[in-house]
Amino acid sequence: MSDEVFLKLEGIKKSFGGVHALKGVDLEIRKGEIHCLAGENGCGKSTLIKAISGVHDADEGSIWIDGEKVEKMKPMDAINRGIQVIYQDFAVFPNLTVAENIALNGELKNKQKFVNWKSIHEIAAKAMAQVGADIDPDVKLERLSVANKQMVAICRAIINDAKLLILDEPTTALTAREVDKLWDIVRSLKAKGIAIMIVNHKLDEIYRIADRLTILRNGAYVSSGPISEYDQARFTRDMTGHDVSEDKYHPEEQKEEILRVENLSRKGAFENVSFTLHKGDVLGLTGLLGSGRGEIGEALFGIAPAESGKIVLNGKEITIKSVADAIANDIGYVPEDRLTQGLFMDRSIQDNTIASSIRRYMKGGRLDEQAMEDVTRRWIDEIGIVAPSPKPAVRTLSGGNAQKVVIAKWLNTEPKLFILDGPTVGVDIGAKAEIHAILHDLAQRGIGIIVISDDLPELVQNCNKIVVMRDGKVAASIDNSIDERSLSDLLIGAEKQEGDKK
Amino acid sequence: MSGKEARLKKTGRGLPVIGRDSHVLSIIGLMILVCIIMMLLKPESYFTGLNLRSMIFQFPEYGVLALGMMACMIAGGIDLSLVGIMNLTGVLAALIVKNTIIIENGVVTNPGMVVPIIVLACVVAVVVGGACGAFNGFIIGYFGLPAMLVTLCGLQLYTGLAYGITGGPAINGMCDAFKNIANGTIPGIGIPWVLLIFIAVLAVVVFIMKCTVFGHEIYFLGSNAQAAMYSGINTMRVTVMTYMFSGILGGISGILITSHLNSAKSSNGSTYTLLSLLIVVLGGVHPDGGRGRVIGVVLAVLLLQMIANAFGVMYLDDNAKTFANGCLLVAALVLSVVMDKRAAKKAAAQS
Repeated sequence: MSDEVFLKLEGIKKSFGGVHALKGVDLEIRKGEIHCLAGENGCGKSTLIKAISGVHDADEGSIWIDGEKVEKMKPMDAINRGIQVIYQDFAVFPNLTVAENIALNGELKNKQKFVNWKSIHEIAAKAMAQVGADIDPDVKLERLSVANKQMVAICRAIINDAKLLILDEPTTALTAREVDKLWDIVRSLKAKGIAIMIVNHKLDEIYRIADRLTILRNGAYVSSGPISEYDQARFTRDMTGHDVSEDKYHPEEQKEEILRVENLSRKGAFENVSFTLHKGDVLGLTGLLGSGRGEIGEALFGIAPAESGKIVLNGKEITIKSVADAIANDIGYVPEDRLTQGLFMDRSIQDNTIASSIRRYMKGGRLDEQAMEDVTRRWIDEIGIVAPSPKPAVRTLSGGNAQKVVIAKWLNTEPKLFILDGPTVGVDIGAKAEIHAILHDLAQRGIGIIVISDDLPELVQNCNKIVVMRDGKVAASIDNSIDERSLSDLLIGAEKQEGDKK
Repeated sequence: MSGKEARLKKTGRGLPVIGRDSHVLSIIGLMILVCIIMMLLKPESYFTGLNLRSMIFQFPEYGVLALGMMACMIAGGIDLSLVGIMNLTGVLAALIVKNTIIIENGVVTNPGMVVPIIVLACVVAVVVGGACGAFNGFIIGYFGLPAMLVTLCGLQLYTGLAYGITGGPAINGMCDAFKNIANGTIPGIGIPWVLLIFIAVLAVVVFIMKCTVFGHEIYFLGSNAQAAMYSGINTMRVTVMTYMFSGILGGISGILITSHLNSAKSSNGSTYTLLSLLIVVLGGVHPDGGRGRVIGVVLAVLLLQMIANAFGVMYLDDNAKTFANGCLLVAALVLSVVMDKRAAKKAAAQS
């Protein structure tokens, strides 16, 4: 590692619509270092990457690459200067082969008009040798595992003389062993003098790999320095802006049962899942990607119904085979992907709020416009949606406010059970706390709340019961006296066992 | 209050019914433009009662089609089968009227049956139209096929059925009472029946789109089908109902055109498919669905009829009209994108 700076950003600002995604960010990446960019969801990490890679043009601020100031950078400029980004979805072509995926990028860059099949294989082989990957170059990408797709994306990135490789949350979909392998590759690239920036907010993973660290919060620069200067307390403080609050959610114990799930199973998703939710409980459902945590939510809401098992809601056994069944039984569901599944972005706050309860507003053969407006105003006040009136399109709202609209939509159906998948993803910290306060309040009023999340600090702080899923089964049912680290061990416990078996 | 505030307040309220809808305002602007041009070129034959009457007798048949197209496009789809439905239902209505109301030497032999039979013919047309639309909607909703392909197949299917029924030649010479639906006027007042029919259909469509759950569900479906599903809206049912609604409007249009031409065959009004599409887009319905207003579509219908008649009174080639319509469509599409961008910028500036 040298102290020579490869990339320098100063005071980068960027807004979209009304949202200030970046409010003046500084960043310095040295040649051949592994730099970690950390921050909570919605802190502007992704936007910053897009500014570096030329996808977004920053509104203000300056970018220096290799000591040279760059104005109005386009994606191709960034690539030509050796900046390569591997996004979370890898941006690979599933219908092309491994070799084509690796080599075609370079052909485009060199402005070649014709495809040279022989050189494609050569380039691919060379890149794979450099990274230490061993994948059949003629296999179509769609048949590879997530880890191997990522490998292909890395191969593709480095063939163009990459000087800086940016990995956007590279570990989210990987098992622990795959993460180890990825870190090995990252270290070998570093040895070749390539600087690497990893976007990650999991402290344990960062400690194992990063040389230096930069933390963002709410679109602003917070701190930067060698990883050794950060301990757990400083890291969390810088990430969240406050010391970790010790006041976890502890409702009074109540006997009254709201939901009981017994031996719920759906082939290929989860099996024999049982848990109970009492009045006042906020139940957290967690696990790695693919552990079945989200699928249980979908089963309870009838999107992908369970094949067997028993669901008892407020003492009555219910059958859920469709979304209509779930709604008839007063179950509400905030889906994981707010933008594509939760909201009608072009419609008004009012339309979104009444979308699931519109039938109540039929009065004398027509919809009662006034009543719909009144109820929307009530929710805007009650759960603190920042909006001038019920009329603006949801598109104009920030992430946190938009999520509150989804919550209002379901609260307006007066649910008895309310399932939220990733309720605070992409929500700023202030709104996050407000959403949790709303959920606690609802739980106290006797509504069953299930929060599905992989945000462990969030779960520990806000759920008094946590069900940990692993490979489709309940691995543990615990209360929130557990700390994050042991919870994290519980989640990846599966990997240890898997490793033992082999 | 400063001048800027006053202006904001003024534009904020907008005009009654029309509001601040940029599409609606630009259509009205274009209508005024057409009037000004015709005032300069041929006021003596454009601004006449005769010309006005010819317009009123022309636009309802495709205006009703455009309303069906509008519903489907707001729902995020499209209905290219409307003209097929129109001709199939028109042929059926004509057959019923022709075969049961018997005319000998220019006199109807069974006058008592005329009204019930015409009512029956209309009901059959509407029901068959609804059934054809429901079939489209079912295929689209159940199999998840693109509406564009399904309704294009529907167009072939219903046109083919109509051809099969007639065997090719047109069915002509229905009784005067049937002809009167689209050609007659209210005795004494002189208002064409067809204008009343169009206004009645329009009122129903406005009511459905604005004041019913179904109407809102159409907007929800077109705005984000997945979110609609996650909100507990039965998207399958809404899809079927939307295309059925469109099919019913196709059936009504079938009666109007058959009565207007006093003739039914499988290939009537074949230009109406693209014309109704043009009207709907021009009227401000977003091509991706979810956005659009009836008022815009109605004004677009009127605008196109004004343009058509302008070309007519100047004895211009029909192809010139097609060219002009094409230019309008492109302009409307570009305008909608520009407006979107401007609105986004404005939202950014406000915060």
